[in-house]
Amino acid sequence: MLGVDVGGTFTDVVSVRDGRVEVTKVPSDPADPAAPVVEGARRLGLEGQPVFNHASTMGLNAVITRTLPKVAFLTTEGHRDILDRGRIWRPPVRQSDPSWRRSFGDAARPLVPRYLRRGVCERLLADGSVHLPLDEEQARRQLAVLKRCAVEGVAICLLNAYVDAAHERRLRELTHEVLGDEVAVSISSETSPLAKEYARASTTVIDVFMKLIFTGYAHRLAEGLGEAGFAGELNFADCAATLLPWSEALEKPFRIVHAGPAAGTMSSARLGEALGERNLVCCDVGGTSTDVSLVVDGQPFVDNTFELEHDLIINALSTEISSVGAGGGSIVSISSSGDVLVGPASAGSDPGPACYGRGGTQPTVTDAALLMGILDPEAFAAGALRLDEELARRAFESLETPLGFEQRVGFAFRIAVANIAEEVTNVVLRRGGDPRDFTLIAYGAAGPMLLPAALDLLHVGRVVIPPHPGNFSALGLLSTDLVYYDSRSAYVPLFPESAPQIAAVFEEMERGLRARAGQDGEVRRSFDGRLFGQSWETPFVQVPDGPITAETIPELVERFHQAYERRYGNRFPYVPVQGVSYRVELRVPSEKVEFAPLEAGGEATPTRTIELRRLGSGPLEAAEYDRDSLPPGARIAGPAVIREGLATTLIVPGQTAEVGRLGELLIERENAGV
Amino acid sequence: MTHTFQRPTERYLSVERRPVDGACPECGAEELAEYRVLSDGGWFDVRKCQACLCSVSREPAPPFGSYVPLGLQIAKDAGG
Repeated sequence: MLGVDVGGTFTDVVSVRDGRVEVTKVPSDPADPAAPVVEGARRLGLEGQPVFNHASTMGLNAVITRTLPKVAFLTTEGHRDILDRGRIWRPPVRQSDPSWRRSFGDAARPLVPRYLRRGVCERLLADGSVHLPLDEEQARRQLAVLKRCAVEGVAICLLNAYVDAAHERRLRELTHEVLGDEVAVSISSETSPLAKEYARASTTVIDVFMKLIFTGYAHRLAEGLGEAGFAGELNFADCAATLLPWSEALEKPFRIVHAGPAAGTMSSARLGEALGERNLVCCDVGGTSTDVSLVVDGQPFVDNTFELEHDLIINALSTEISSVGAGGGSIVSISSSGDVLVGPASAGSDPGPACYGRGGTQPTVTDAALLMGILDPEAFAAGALRLDEELARRAFESLETPLGFEQRVGFAFRIAVANIAEEVTNVVLRRGGDPRDFTLIAYGAAGPMLLPAALDLLHVGRVVIPPHPGNFSALGLLSTDLVYYDSRSAYVPLFPESAPQIAAVFEEMERGLRARAGQDGEVRRSFDGRLFGQSWETPFVQVPDGPITAETIPELVERFHQAYERRYGNRFPYVPVQGVSYRVELRVPSEKVEFAPLEAGGEATPTRTIELRRLGSGPLEAAEYDRDSLPPGARIAGPAVIREGLATTLIVPGQTAEVGRLGELLIERENAGV
Repeated sequence: MTHTFQRPTERYLSVERRPVDGACPECGAEELAEYRVLSDGGWFDVRKCQACLCSVSREPAPPFGSYVPLGLQIAKDAGG
């Protein structure tokens, strides 16, 4: 199996063959992004591989940097500024700033410039009846302008079109008549037939952009892989890191605008399944930031929208990930009031931490770890980079503070750990969880070094360091199913007499999904509902299996109240419930990476004894271990350091680590369970 | 100097759009015009294509548009 993660700087390719994990890194090429992917895959060998799963941040990067093709937006006359208004949400820190402007706005960086947003005379009412018929002559005049402007794509989103698609379909025909068949067109009633105009409009606009960005790329990639000897399935990962065949991905490419971070959550869920752990906090500590997500009852915590930037949302299922600016490269600084600060600024990979010797002069968390003796200067990044302790020392000495050197280094490490612990706690509490019910999965290059130290602050049950923590996210691309999904909106009160209408909506979607997938799979149904009078929905209320009849409706209502209570802490059983959006997922199992059990037996033998400094009140003697030589069942008491190619695990005093049967490290407090 | 405005004599008020030479870089139409607009970012002097309404140029105008505050008017009258 092969997985590839195309980032802005590097393209990472991971291969799993007979349980052996291999990784290669190729510089990304914005001019021809398919070439490095094929090159990386060639290096690891393509022949005989059954699947090639692809994730990329290309779509999101194009949107954020506004390196986008020229696209027009057609909507009902008088509503062309719907894209500027968004949901009129201000970021919390800008609530009282009168000069704040939404970046999506005409005044700043519109995705579609205002002159390419054109109104069309027509109007459907909310019940689907025609208030104004489509004025085809006026529409042709608008399209003639777009033709003169040489647009490459057109997004069409008319008011209330999710109820009746007739006007949008006719407008698409007219668009092809006037602009030609080669122009990319997306209509909202097919892209995302959901209520609420703004999310439907922005989803449709993003869909056209992604059609233009990914269509040529996907074909070149499929061709290149074929020429290199690949004959398996090519799948694309979406915002929730679930997979879809590449031809399906090109039908609704808004789903693949961003994939990558969610793969770590998938990987954690897969490991949790193998370990029998169903509630997980997934913590990916990289160079710049820490991404925190949850797996609850075996399932990643999924949202029904994905926010590309502030208030720019699309109707795509996405894994909810929260980030904090704390990682190995986070810069240590002194505030104007004399406090030690860590992050959110990062030294990144270039110049990187001072100890890299690439010109960085500001101290970072990695410099602190080196000065504390946690990192081995000779064995960093599998020996690819030699760290310079003297440069790290000078960087910390340059801080303008009356604090002593020992305090500067020790405080920097502890504050980085506390920042991450705070975010992890916030994420769990925000979702109504109790940290004590969760196990923390620590991965990313810096995760095993920082997170065990956070165990006492977090109150989670234990910390698990998975096998291959440095490549754990990429492995997530090989840990997931193919998922086809569809959703529809219909404002229907959940009364017994509404059952036929609700059943028809679900049946139509299920039929469509089975036809698209060409095979059967596990069907999951859910709906977003609200109490009568509310303007927001409670999402993902699970629908029971089997036909929906008048007898099923009370159970739907009860499940809504349960979901509402879980989310908001109260219930209103006397208020009628209204269904708003209905969703069907068809999951088709795909080949996945297996965590193979290792042979148990033997003792953990340290390679040497090292000195850890500035971790407590004085120097500590700690045993150093090579992770590859640790047999399952071995127990290690802190303080200790466990080294492997792309990560270093720190076991602090008062903790023990046990090697699990899959090679994972299970870290607990020594008095756990007392 | 009066501080009140005359009652308008025109039936409708409109901004004068002065035609300028040149072709629109987006749609190619030779229908450019210059005028002042008030948008969410304040007053702007714009040059726009009258066929597709693309803004060819957009420069910030005085913050109060055509209105000149009394203090500035006095300074101006005094030759400041």
